[in-house]
Amino acid sequence: MKLNLFRLALKNIRSRRTRSWLTILGVLVGVTAVVALLSIGTGVQEAVLQQFEDIGYDIILISPMHAGGTAPGAMGGFMPGSTADGRFGGQMPTQPDFNSSSPGTFSPENLGGSSSEDETGDGQFDQMREALARTASSSLDTELLLTQVPQLIEAGTLGTQIQPVDTGTTSGFLRVSTPSLDFLEAFPSVLGGFEIASGSFFTNTTENQVIVGVRSAELLRMSVGDSISINNIPFTVIGILEASDQSSDEDEGSDSVLSGQGLAQNLGSGNSADLLLRGLTNTDDSLFVLHERASNVLAGRTMSAVTITRVESGASISETKDAINVAIGQQDATGTPISIQEVADEIQGTLSLIETVLASIAAVALIVGGVGLMNTMYTSVLERTREIGILKSVGARDGQVMTLFLIDSGLMGLIGGVLGLILGSILSLLGTRLLGPSLGVGSFSPIIDAWLVGGVLVFSFVLGALSGVWPAWRASRLNPVDALAAE
Amino acid sequence: MLVLNDVHKTYQMGETQVLALRGVSLELPPAQLSVIMGHSGSGKSTLMHLAGCLDVPTSGSVEYGGLDLTTLSSRERADFRSSEVGFVFQKYNLVGNLTALENVALPLLLRNATTKQAHARAREALDLVGLQDRTTHRPAKLSGGEQQRVAIARALVNDPTMILADEPTGNLDTVTGDRILELLSQFRADDKIVLVVTHNPEIAETADLVVYLRDGRVESQQFQEVAR
Ligand SMILES: Nc1ncnc2c1ncn2[C@@H]1O[C@H](COP(=O)(O)OP(=O)(O)OP(=O)(O)O)[C@@H](O)[C@H]1O
Ligand SMILES: [Mg+2]
Repeated sequence: MKLNLFRLALKNIRSRRTRSWLTILGVLVGVTAVVALLSIGTGVQEAVLQQFEDIGYDIILISPMHAGGTAPGAMGGFMPGSTADGRFGGQMPTQPDFNSSSPGTFSPENLGGSSSEDETGDGQFDQMREALARTASSSLDTELLLTQVPQLIEAGTLGTQIQPVDTGTTSGFLRVSTPSLDFLEAFPSVLGGFEIASGSFFTNTTENQVIVGVRSAELLRMSVGDSISINNIPFTVIGILEASDQSSDEDEGSDSVLSGQGLAQNLGSGNSADLLLRGLTNTDDSLFVLHERASNVLAGRTMSAVTITRVESGASISETKDAINVAIGQQDATGTPISIQEVADEIQGTLSLIETVLASIAAVALIVGGVGLMNTMYTSVLERTREIGILKSVGARDGQVMTLFLIDSGLMGLIGGVLGLILGSILSLLGTRLLGPSLGVGSFSPIIDAWLVGGVLVFSFVLGALSGVWPAWRASRLNPVDALAAE
Repeated sequence: MLVLNDVHKTYQMGETQVLALRGVSLELPPAQLSVIMGHSGSGKSTLMHLAGCLDVPTSGSVEYGGLDLTTLSSRERADFRSSEVGFVFQKYNLVGNLTALENVALPLLLRNATTKQAHARAREALDLVGLQDRTTHRPAKLSGGEQQRVAIARALVNDPTMILADEPTGNLDTVTGDRILELLSQFRADDKIVLVVTHNPEIAETADLVVYLRDGRVESQQFQEVAR
């Protein structure tokens, strides 16, 4: 009997095609919005969380912000403009200065290089350290820091710059990452392992050596031993990196690196959290010069340099942070420690907020769809008053009339839900392609799990049925004689 | 036997009350063709609705086989209509988006019949009214006489014990109308109560009982011996 009513309802939906499709469209729009936003939202969250997990929660970053500056909580520098334009690195750093660059340019910092010799360390790093010219006074001495803060087991510095690059045949702006030696020693994973594909690792800090990401190498048609000028300073390509596994599906690579888009993309990486995130996925597009060398020859262009430290397992992160603050003060340097947990929380918080806002908008769209459905069902009851009278005169019970209308509206809701699910999934897949790169979280995919699918289908049927309850109830209560008299 | 006992029906029209029926008593035995005549507004349709359990009287009782229909719940009335009553209306009242066959099968589908059973029975009923070759037509594609015959097939399909036809020929030409009335009058042979509202004096001549209504009252009742 229910099956018969089901067939009758289906017939009615089919015989009122335009009305049905318009109503379904209303539901479809809402469901599409919800599915796309939820799946992208969870996808982004997962991707971001995964990246922080990859970095490790035992990491404390020391950003070069002034500790007592604009934001005492010191998160301000980490996510500039992130809510305003949906990007993590929305704030554009100032353009690199094109004119002041000449091979002999030295910034004031590296003139006053102190040399605190250090006998500890091992292997190739050891020898090179001895030859190290000590870097700027305001930047942190990571080795000193390790002795000052015993909870820290590793520390290293990673800077980033945008530099004019010229190979003689090609020129343009590229990102130059400047990891310190101890950074490469302690945190190679942040740079995708920093595996050398051909050539060798840096051999000293006195020559202008550059290691090139695989895509940059292709783009600039460079091989090991070639010369390249960075900021008009001659460098020698000493090694080429292995391709990172994550960058292959980011298609804004080769041709756009030298274009304005590539530049904007690179300039966008002006804060340390973002730098870190990009470092994970974008080693292919980068050039690498040792921090120790860069601070001598490329100084003054460092847009941001972040010191990364690893905390001994078991040690308290917040106590370590306090100790780092004291150490920074003792070194008379500037910087603010931020734990990965804090960065993750901050970004998670922002993402959740964005997601909540978007989900609310989607919910409104869904409610509008429901109201549209209610309106259609209400009109339908008016239009079909006589039919209701006929049904009752041939023996239909009130409950059957009600069921008939509920199935009608529920089916339209369900169809809207199914179509919205499909469309929303397609949109979210497209959306991640488009958004992925600009969100700076590397590659990620929308998450459409059984819960989302099941939830959406059940919800859209219930929404449809609920929207139909009031009209259907009215229909069922009609007096058959009055209903038959209707035109 | 359907018995109406001092039945009153009052419609409330805003401030004013319309006394559609004011004390109608009737006995309608099975296997008889009863015809109701009367001027427009005399209460004929109102009487049909009460007899067919489509509406309830303001006072008085309608009894069928000892059962007082006025005491039934809404659901019980629906079930009574489903099993005992076949309605035929002046306006045919077919469902526009269903085929002739589906329209006829509708009363069965609203009960526990499968589509297959219902369609088989509906086909038989359409056979009976001579429309076996119109089963897949929608009402809009049928003539008035054909639509009314579909409606009659639908009234028959549940094998009800009473057939109630309210001006079934009102929208039809005389020849077609006569055929319809002839068809309806055959059903008394099946022991059914056949109650027809009509203005046609010829059919009244063939009826077992002719009731004249006037201003909501029975003006006269005329029992006739008719040759069958
Ligand atoms: N739903 C209603 N609300 C108010 N008044 C009604 C209603 N139905 C019928 N009436 C009134 O009750 C009276 C009897 O109506 P009814 O339809 O029974 O007459 P009828 O004999 O069938 O007339 P006709 O030959 O025109 O069909 C009329 O005065 C009519 O206006
Ligand atoms: Mg009438």
